[in-house]
Order: sequence, then structure tokens, then C-alpha cells
Amino acid sequence: MNELKQICKEALTEKKARFIIAYREDKNKKTKPFIARTPEDAEQIIFNHQAVNNLAVYFPRFKNSGEGKIGIVVKSCDLKAVTALIQENQIKRDDLFIIGVNCSGVVRDTTMEFSNDNTQIKCKYCQAKTPPYYDELAEESKEFEMPDDDQAELMARIEKMSSDERLEFWSAEFEKCIKCYACRQVCPMCYCEKCIVEKSEPQWIDTSSTARGNFSWNIIRAFHMAGRCIGCHECERACPMDIPLTLLTRKMGMVASSEFGYRHGMSLTEPALIGTYSTSDKEDFIK
Amino acid sequence: MEEYIVSLDNLKKIADELLNNHCRVIGTTSENKFKELNYAEELVLNPGAVPTSSSFKEFFFPKTEPLFFYKQNHSNVDLFNPIQDKSKIVIIGAKPCDAASLPIISKVFNWDYKDDLFNSRYDNSLIIGMSCHYSDEFCFCNDLGSSPENMKGSDVFLKPLADNYFKVVSVTPKGAEFINEYQKYFEKDLGKNKSLERKEENPKHFDYDKVKTWLDNNFENKFWDTAGEMCLGCAQCAFVCPTCHCFDIVDEQNGSCAGRRAKNWDACQFSLFTKHASGHNPRDNQEKRYRQRISHKFKYYMDKFDEVLCTGCGRCSRGCPVSLDILQIVEEINSLSGNSNSIQ
Amino acid sequence: MDNIYKPELVEIKDIIDETPDIKTFRLQFKNPELQSSFAFKAGQFAEYSVFGEGECTFCIASSPTRPEYLECSFKLAGKTTSAMTKLNIGDTMGLRGPYGNSFPIEQMKGKNVVFIAGGIGLAPVRCIIWNVLDLRDQFKDITIIYGARTVSDLVYKNELEDWKSMSGIKTVVTVDPGGETPDWKGEVGFVPTIVEKVSPSGNDTVAIICGPPIMIKYTFPVLEKLGFKEDNIITTLENRMKCGLGKCGRCNIGSVYVCKDGPVFSYKDLKTLPQEY
Repeated sequence: MNELKQICKEALTEKKARFIIAYREDKNKKTKPFIARTPEDAEQIIFNHQAVNNLAVYFPRFKNSGEGKIGIVVKSCDLKAVTALIQENQIKRDDLFIIGVNCSGVVRDTTMEFSNDNTQIKCKYCQAKTPPYYDELAEESKEFEMPDDDQAELMARIEKMSSDERLEFWSAEFEKCIKCYACRQVCPMCYCEKCIVEKSEPQWIDTSSTARGNFSWNIIRAFHMAGRCIGCHECERACPMDIPLTLLTRKMGMVASSEFGYRHGMSLTEPALIGTYSTSDKEDFIK
Repeated sequence: MEEYIVSLDNLKKIADELLNNHCRVIGTTSENKFKELNYAEELVLNPGAVPTSSSFKEFFFPKTEPLFFYKQNHSNVDLFNPIQDKSKIVIIGAKPCDAASLPIISKVFNWDYKDDLFNSRYDNSLIIGMSCHYSDEFCFCNDLGSSPENMKGSDVFLKPLADNYFKVVSVTPKGAEFINEYQKYFEKDLGKNKSLERKEENPKHFDYDKVKTWLDNNFENKFWDTAGEMCLGCAQCAFVCPTCHCFDIVDEQNGSCAGRRAKNWDACQFSLFTKHASGHNPRDNQEKRYRQRISHKFKYYMDKFDEVLCTGCGRCSRGCPVSLDILQIVEEINSLSGNSNSIQ
Repeated sequence: MDNIYKPELVEIKDIIDETPDIKTFRLQFKNPELQSSFAFKAGQFAEYSVFGEGECTFCIASSPTRPEYLECSFKLAGKTTSAMTKLNIGDTMGLRGPYGNSFPIEQMKGKNVVFIAGGIGLAPVRCIIWNVLDLRDQFKDITIIYGARTVSDLVYKNELEDWKSMSGIKTVVTVDPGGETPDWKGEVGFVPTIVEKVSPSGNDTVAIICGPPIMIKYTFPVLEKLGFKEDNIITTLENRMKCGLGKCGRCNIGSVYVCKDGPVFSYKDLKTLPQEY
């Protein structure tokens, strides 16, 4: 524990980073994101099972905001977002000071303790507890028992549904949407300066929370995530209406993987799937 | 005046009758959500439950509603008012922090210009409030002059008694009329059922007057540079809030010659909320937008309508994706305003 | 139901191309009774709609002393104004209003009046100019100072000529440096500079000023130097609005709703408001 604080303190003292996006605990012992600007601030830095946020979401705000590297504390899953943003030319590796943490799972519901029943979905199929690259690494690597991947079971069930049944399933889910855009705002990959839903000439998507407006918003967002979602599950966690959004984004990722052999956020050098064309790309969807 | 009690079973019978009389009955369910009930058995009244994740404002101020419909054929345009659902709305089991929100937002919908879309529902409603036996680190109703027993906004108020009974308090003439109408389901209070009290008092966190004075004088203060800096600019807080009432007005075409104009929930934390067509934006960063949110709730609305635009329900904090905690922000303001001796 | 959000229908009677991106619409209510009963005061605004495209906010640019029609001038900027530029004479629009407060015409009576405007900011000022001119004998000296970026960006060109030719009115028109044409006979320079040059006395004078925020910001100190009292400097603000009715929550500056407590504010009022407009 001290080690992470120590690393961050040193980084700030030695100006390896001009600030560090990290986690702290508030007076109610709630873990939340904050920005450590001084070595004193770094005293507050912690990491635990409640450190759910994907801090890469804050990058766009600091784009061109000054000289010096941006420090960030990342779990292995968060690092995929960092990598993906580098792949999509949103940030440069050289502008970052990455403090990786060994993670032994985070909670799904932040109001409860970490347990087998309260493990975030992504941790149930996590393949790398240690970030693949970093400038510094903190935290001890701890084994934890991975609960069953119940989302995979649910996905298999949905895939067996007829298209009418699927429509019914998603209609019921999307009806709940209130267009608060928490899914978009917490998403590190949703960095467009002007979102498609804000483009009014022409108005592509109804902004109202009607059946039509909700369906088009959620489906378009899923499409924009195709081959781009890095699976941090923040959208679903943030959704106040409990819409199982990651069923869509995870499925899209699986398709990108099975059809194109591509997983986003896994390589600093591989070009992003969405921005490349290969003559071997399948065309059988054009009918 | 006679004092009454009512059993949960009889409350459900009342709900049944209301449903049969084509009322919209809204209550909390086993999932602890406000829902328009299909049948009375869905109703679950638990004074110890955490406030529902969303408030019930959508039943008075829907997330989207038509303002009018239009049809146009060259220079001929016809406008049609939306058909109003004239059904009576009955809310059963509103916590004091929910019930209080309606008279608060009614003020903005009725100063000078009257919003009949809101009024037609609110005027035609009956709110049955209930004491609250819940509290957590996000609750602060009693810092805002309310309490878990506060009857503001309720027409009828229920106080839990042992054995699934409730003491019935008639708060408004509308409430008295209701009790009279469903008299057969109410029993005289013979004092036999023990009343269930809250386990503990809510702590007091801040002195509102001091917070208000600080806000009056500190529009420019470095506190605002960091208060909202981690805010991601979504509208979770505003949309689950019982008092947030900002809205957008949009046109939606349905084919080339017909469509509707709609009133949709909107939120001050969205970056485009105040952006002019010219590109100029008076609140051009999240820090300014967060200042607006806090100031609107704890200062502007008070200046304008003599009410705090917050009931202390804590929903915004419980649901915030980055755990921004409105109570902690207000507590910080309280401590910035100097000596905090008046707080226990 | 009394539906405060439902507009009345108006017909476009005339369209004037003021500049490449500014047009003036002359409108008349389709219901003749409304046309005769519709009353407003100089400085008030309205919400104009193109059905299916949306609504937007402009001040009423014609004078209440000429009630046979309403005029609005708008600049192509967003979705609704873009739809408006595609409309033709005879087309139908929606109109809600009038909303907001107005210029303090009673306070101005018996005094000198200086009108200062920049760009399309002349629209609300034009409303009060004609109002004052139609009641000419109730006011003392009148000065009009108007500027735009270039000669082609000047609006109400014919009326500028009318005002220049009227006796007892001093009309000065300027364009920003670089915006002049070879045959330009007016002033060249930014509005605050020209105000300083024209140097109207602040004694017993009310100034009405409207234009881009930057112009207003730099003109206030000039007026103060010329001896204008803070409550005799009057401006009109345009924050983003949707409802115009004090409900939708986006036009506030501190505790003040521009749509209801404004859009007209004195410099004295503005000094009490936070810098968030």
C-alpha cells in the first residue's frame, strides 16, 4: 500500500509527472477519483477493491493543457483504454507516466464489500491482473478466485433467442433509458467533442427518451463501440437505470475478435481495427 | 378530529379501488422503485428502505412529453394540443424527501406563466407520504429544515405501527376528503398498536444559513476550481433528483409534414446546455457548470422562490459514477464559511 | 388547457436580405384579431418557430408604434435559423411572446438619448430607435452610433440613410479597420473608439447599447468617462434560451433569469451580477 503512495510521491517530487490521476478515500471511506498535484496530495492516494473507475476517461480534459507528463494509476483493464487512446491518436505514450497496479478484482456494487457475489463482470474473465506495461508497478499481486462468468451464460441465452424475442428483451431494457448519457460520459473511448446525438444538422438521433430515441441512441452507441470497446464495464456501472449495456459492447468485441482476429487496446503498434482496411476483410455482410 | 389507523391490507384494498376507478396508482415495489402499479399486490411499503434510485418526478414531469403536435402542408399549418390523461394520480408511500419536492418545483412551473402540463397532473394528484426510518451517509433532509417525519407535500401521512399498521394523519383538505371517501378501510385509533420509531436521529451536518451566506459572497472562489473538477458531465444527478427541473425543447419530425415539439429533461452539467449558436458558452467548463448546480440548488432558487432546491435525499451522491458527494461539498462550504460551532 | 408552449401562427409577409448571413422577416399573425390585440414594448423578445426544425429567440426588431406587423432580424447560426433562411414569403411560422422586460422608455423621456450598436445588435436598438423617433418631441438630442465588421455586414442600410437625413439626429456609422470599401464615406474604427470620438455628453443622457459582448465590455468605460451614470447605461443580453418563460433553467446569470428579469439590464444591474454571460 505504501508502495503506491511512495511511487506517486516520488513521481511528483521528481516531476516525472505534473499531476497524477489517482484514487483517494473520502471521509466516508468511499473510494473516488482525484487529482494529486503535490507530493502532499499523494499521501491520500490509495488502491483497493473499490477502485472501480477507469481513470483514462479524464484524458481529453487535459489534452494540450500544459508541459510535462500526465500521471495515471491504472489497473490492467484501464490500461487497455490508455493503449486504445494511443492507437486512436488521442494521446501519446510519451506524454504519460503510467503507474500500473496489480489488481485482484474490483466490486460491481460500490456500496458493498468485495466478495464472490460482488465482483465486477469484467474481473470474472480478466486475463491479466498485472498491466502488460507501465513506468512503475505497485501493489502486491494477489490471487483471487474468479467467480463464474455469468454474463457469458446470459449472452448465450440471448443468442439463442429469436429476433422477435431479442427485440422484446432490448425494448424492455431501452425503455428504461433516461438519456442522462452517463454511459457516454464515463466511457474513455467516447471522446468525440461533439457526439452524434448532439449533431442537429441534420438531427440523426431523436434526443427524446421515446422508444425510437432510446433505441437509436443505444444501438448507435453500441455500433460506435464495435471493435473499440475495451471492456471496462464503466457504462453499465454508471447507468442509473441498470441497463445491461455491456452485453452489447462485449458481444461487439467478440465479433471483432472472431471475424477480424482483433482486440482493441492490446497493442501499442497495431493500427485500430476501425481505422484500417485489409483486402482480406470479409464482405459477406454486403448483400 | 378523530384519529385513524390503517392496515397494509386495507391500503392495498384502497389501491385496488383506485385502480378500478381508473386512477394511476404509483407506489414502491419489491425492487424498491416507483412504479405505476398494475395491481395492488405489487405495493411494498418499507419505511426502512433506501430512497429509490430515481425519484417519482417523472409522473408529474415526464422525461419526455409532447408540447403540441403539428401538421403542415405548404403554408397551411395546424397545431394540436396533446391529449391529456385526466386520470387522478395517487402516490403511496412517498418519503418526506420525495413528497417535499412537489411544492418546491411547483413554484418554478407557476411563477407568472403557468405550466399546465405540470399542473394538470399535480393538481389532480394525492400524495400519501410515509415516515422514513432510513438513513445513510448521503442523507441530509434535516439539515434543510425537513425531517424523516416531515409532512411537506403530503396530503395524507402514514406513520408505521407494529403489525403492518399505519397511523394516518390528514395533512391537507384533499387528504381529509380522501380519508372520508375511503372511511370504511380506516379504523379508529385505539392506541393498541405500538408505534415504530426511528432507531436513531440523523446527525446534523451543516448550517444552511451559513452556506447561503457563503454562496452569496463567493461566486469567484478557488473552491470552485476543484469542487467539481472530477465531474464527468453526465446527468445522472439531475435526472434522479426530485427537484431538478431543467428541460430542453426539441422538434421531432415524423415524416416531412407532421411531428411534435417535445419537452425533455435536460441538465446543467451537459457542456452544450448554455452554448449559444454563435459558439459562445457562458459556462464553458465543468467547474463552472458544477458551481451552477450547487448555486442553483442552495442559493439561486432560495433567492428567487424562497426554497432550497434540494430535499436532502442523497440520490445524486449514491448514484454518481465518480462518487461526487453533494453533502460533502456543502459541508466543505459550511466549513469555509468559518467557525462551525453551531453544528453538533 | 392553456398551453404556454404552443405558438401562434404567423405568415411571412416580406423578407429582406440585410447581409450575406442576416435576414429580416416581416410577419403578420394569421389570426387578424391577434394582429390587432398583440401588444409589446420595445426591448421584448419572442420565440420564433419553424415546425419540425425548432424554436429560437430574437428580440422584436420593429417598433411597438407600428403595430401593423412584427419584424425580426436573425443571423444564420444554427439549426432553426438555417431552416428560416430557406423559407419564402407566404410561408407560415410560429411565434410565442412577447417575453421579458423592456427598455425604460419613461426614464428616457425628456432626456438626450445615445444609441450604440454593433453588428446584428442594431436589431433591438432599431426597435427603440423607431419608438423614440415616432414620439420625437418627447426626447431631446438623439445620437446613433452603429458599427459592423465590414460595409457588407451593416444591417438596415436604408434606414441608416433615413436617420442620417433626418434633422436633429446625429448618425455615425463605422466599420472595423480593414472592413471599408474604396467608396466608404463613414468612419473606420471600432465602436468604443468612435463613441470616444463622437463624445456624446453623459449629462442628462441615456445610452442604449447592444452588440457583441466584447464591444459592450469596452464601451462601458468610455461611457463612464463621458459622464454617463451607471443606471443611464442600458443594455440587452442574450443568453441561450429555450422556453422564454423562466422555467427551462439555462438563461440564468446568478439568481437572475435573463428571459424574465431581463433581457434589458442597466450597467448598474450588471455590476451586481456574476460574470457568467
